Amino acid sequence: MSARFLPRESLPALVAALRDGRRLLGPRVRDGAITFGELEHVEDLPIGVGDEQSPGRYRLRARADERAFGYAVGPTSLKETLFPPRETLFRAERRADGKVGFVAVVPKPEATAVLGARACELAAIGVQDRVFVQGAASEPRYRARRDALQLVVAVQCTSPAATCFCGDAGTGPRVYGDAADLIATEIDAGLVLEARTEEGAQLLDRLPTRAVADDERVEAERDLDAATTKTHTGRLAIEGLPERLFAALDHARWDEVAARCLACGNCTSVCPTCFCSHAEEAGATAGALEGRSERERVWESCFSSEHGAMHGANPRATTKDRYRQWLTHKLGSWVAQLGTSGCVGCGRCTTWCPAGIDLVEEARALGDGQVSAVALPDAPPPCETPRDEDLVPRAAEVLAITAETSDVVTLHVRDHGVAAEPGQFLQLSLPTIGEAPISVSGVSRAEGFVDVELTIRGVGATTRALTALEAGMELGVRGPYGRGWPLAALEGAPVVIVAGGVGLAPLRGAIRALVEAPDRFPDVRLFVGARTPEDLLYPREMITWLERSHVKLTVTVDHASPGWRGHVGVVTRLLRRSAIPEGARALVCGPEIMMRFTSDALVAAGVTHDRQWLTMERHMKCAVGFCGRCQMGPHLVCRDGPVFRRDELALLGREGF
Amino acid sequence: MHTSPPTSAAKSKRPRLGVVKLASCDGCQLQLLSCEDELLPLAGAVEIVTFAEATSRRDDGGPLDVVLVEGSVSTNEQLAHLRSVRARAKTLVTIGACATAGGIQALRNGRDVKEMLRVVYARPEYVDTLADATPVAAHVRVDHELRGCPIAKGQLLELLTALLLGRRPELRDESVCVECKRAGNVCVMVASDTPCLGPITHGGCGALCPSFARGCYGCFGPKEQANTASVASLLRARGESGAEIARRFRSFTGEAEAFAREAKRALEHDRERVEPTPEEEP
Ligand SMILES: Cc1cc2nc3c(=O)[nH]c(=O)nc-3n(C[C@H](O)[C@H](O)[C@H](O)COP(=O)(O)OP(=O)(O)OC[C@H]3O[C@@H](n4cnc5c(N)ncnc54)[C@H](O)[C@@H]3O)c2cc1C
Ligand code: SF4
Ligand code: SF4
Ligand code: SF4
Ligand code: SF4
Repeated sequence: MSARFLPRESLPALVAALRDGRRLLGPRVRDGAITFGELEHVEDLPIGVGDEQSPGRYRLRARADERAFGYAVGPTSLKETLFPPRETLFRAERRADGKVGFVAVVPKPEATAVLGARACELAAIGVQDRVFVQGAASEPRYRARRDALQLVVAVQCTSPAATCFCGDAGTGPRVYGDAADLIATEIDAGLVLEARTEEGAQLLDRLPTRAVADDERVEAERDLDAATTKTHTGRLAIEGLPERLFAALDHARWDEVAARCLACGNCTSVCPTCFCSHAEEAGATAGALEGRSERERVWESCFSSEHGAMHGANPRATTKDRYRQWLTHKLGSWVAQLGTSGCVGCGRCTTWCPAGIDLVEEARALGDGQVSAVALPDAPPPCETPRDEDLVPRAAEVLAITAETSDVVTLHVRDHGVAAEPGQFLQLSLPTIGEAPISVSGVSRAEGFVDVELTIRGVGATTRALTALEAGMELGVRGPYGRGWPLAALEGAPVVIVAGGVGLAPLRGAIRALVEAPDRFPDVRLFVGARTPEDLLYPREMITWLERSHVKLTVTVDHASPGWRGHVGVVTRLLRRSAIPEGARALVCGPEIMMRFTSDALVAAGVTHDRQWLTMERHMKCAVGFCGRCQMGPHLVCRDGPVFRRDELALLGREGF
Repeated sequence: MHTSPPTSAAKSKRPRLGVVKLASCDGCQLQLLSCEDELLPLAGAVEIVTFAEATSRRDDGGPLDVVLVEGSVSTNEQLAHLRSVRARAKTLVTIGACATAGGIQALRNGRDVKEMLRVVYARPEYVDTLADATPVAAHVRVDHELRGCPIAKGQLLELLTALLLGRRPELRDESVCVECKRAGNVCVMVASDTPCLGPITHGGCGALCPSFARGCYGCFGPKEQANTASVASLLRARGESGAEIARRFRSFTGEAEAFAREAKRALEHDRERVEPTPEEEP
């Protein structure tokens, strides 16, 4: 399609055509910066306004000309539009009789047009698309807003800031492909326009354009070339950067940058690709006291203490850990998780860092060394997209409750969803209280429903409320999610199972399958550890396992009580070489530290990493890869796990991961 | 205080709430009263056992499910009162900068109390004052803290609602900056060089000051991992003296450890500059 020219005087016609039945978003001056906002008139555009940016500093300045797009990107982007800082996911209710209900809240966004998007912004949308619509699931709210973005007019950037490096990042300043409907390049006299889609061509037809004069074309190309040169700073070599950063995890530079970093989260907030979120029970007090709440999603930052914090443990307790998470995710593990870099080179994180920390400078210093010996995995192909309904809890009835120990119960729940495989988990919800991921500890399928067992230890508010449920009450469940135990890979081989504490629960489904099929699993050895004999789960069922001749069970406790005649001590002590059969494969579940020691003990007993599987518990909100909370280096635990083969977990036990 | 699901049994035995005042200005307690519409359902859901501002009912001295403590501990009498309240209460919540970090009263710490009393009171021997005004947590176990001077209404409601429901209160220990960005503000520090303590200050106010284009004064006190040293060096780079920097850290929550330490360091920095060490002289 050939280019056309829109003289500056005709800009109002462009604004009017874009606003025809739509909301128009574009650049506006607000509070001393150029931000995305609603445009009503051409005068709303930052005409004659430019900017100056450097690490930690942003100033508007007057331009000598009348250009409307003579600035570099400001603190906001289209992220706020597509993935707003706070929004409701579903409404929940728990009635006085203990019954629950959940209704998804999906917005009906008005048709929207965008004027003035930059190449880096469009690239950032492409990155977020991979998270929200091309990942483990499709997020209906993001998708609705994305679909409402009907017309996008990009203006190629000819005024990059000193902090911009879209050239290095390979995203700009020119707009490639059909990321926008219409591509504009601004020169003093007006806009050189080129349609990239059918919609763009139709829009172009409606505008009072004329042919582009040769000198106009030359001016546009000259400005674009200059911007291209400027944004190819040469300071950051993207090629191989993930491997180089992961080879530099112990670099002294992390301490140096942590001494300056305020852990304030401005960088992640302004970054147009950061997607992490928190989820909380919200809604008015009056409604909450009557059992009604709204589950809201709120922007979260990996610089905040809660990002990775689990009950009683925080893998990223220090600013150093968090800065390393940010940089290695953005420029490194993002590629393994989502198949693209998380950085589009817009420079926002650098400009808007109050401490003036320059991302490129840090990445350059940290990434100039050797390439990691440990290769990062490739991003998995998009999963089969679950239906939208699968992201909203459904009511499930508590049939019975078994008290297991002083703080652990098993809920027997009748669910009408898909039956979980051993090792998969469900998200359990209680309106006004919260949601928690819990592994399925047993499943029995029937016609039209599934009876599920869930073994829960009351450690915090949500799990305590779950353990306090009574028969006849309901709870919300969604899922099953994640990758379970690889039973097929165990067939024929001796199987060793090591469980610590409540870690026996996620293993029970697998154990039952092994116990029931001696022909497929002829040699099964269980090693179970608990704090005290009273903390042992499922003692009665254990006795039935022992009745099977292909099953051997050894139990140990940390502290014996009177009358205990079994083993005392940590479970790893049971894993001597003589106790582990030749060619064994192992499944392990327990606290992370226990799994690390167990894994080492298994290696010493001849079970190599490629024959061990562990299940990881990490903080998670969404369970389908949207919230970013459960990441552990290259993995999203909810999607790639929770069961991992040990050799996939190169970062297990690494400080900060 | 676990009442979920709402059953008739839970209704009949409403959780018992107390509000207790030590040394402070009442501002935070009044915040509780100013939650007008929201307070109504709360008032029906709890039994208010002791609350100087709201009820004329006499304290029955019985156990409390939740007690909100306002103010710092400045006198022996207050200390004894606090201990007795702690012994009665299942959940103790400090509300406001005074209770949480000593507040404005704590500014007298480190000065000669007797001298100050002579200046302030005519008959100082009648005032039974402890040497320091100290936060509640220095004396008894604290279950939850509401920061701020005064506290934020939304946070108070959130806490009480969560305690009533038996869920975890969302009182996130995160920076004011993330709230500021969620609110869509343009950063005053970056765009207009206005000093702002937001990056190291505990959120909860919803970035109130930056929303009015002012820098954050830090009234919610330090967040975890508060890198005060880095902020001080940023302030120094814009030409502030140690005394000026110290003043910023000593405003509302100056006794909070991270802020107090930095204020002290800033003043020391000034002294070092005034008296250069011999090696530094040419
Ligand atoms: C895949 C998976 C399977 C699990 N299976 C079981 C199980 O079978 N039985 C069992 O008792 N527990 C299990 N857990 C742990 C359980 O989810 C946490 O104990 C629970 O989320 C704590 O929530 P809380 O509100 O009770 O506690 P709090 O500590 O008060 O919660 C604080 C906050 O942190 C979050 N949080 C804390 N710890 C975790 C965690 N480990 N994972 C995710 N979010 C966390 C909570 O959502 C909450 O927002 C599993 C966790 C994961 C990730
Ligand atoms: S990491 Fe920084 S430069 Fe890269 S996309 Fe995010 S904000 Fe822009
Ligand atoms: S973990 Fe990654 S996506 Fe999430 S806030 Fe940090 S850098 Fe952004
Ligand atoms: S890098 Fe800068 S913006 Fe990001 S958390 Fe640290 S100080 Fe804040
Ligand atoms: S104005 Fe203050 S609180 Fe807001 S982002 Fe800037 S430094 Fe943080």
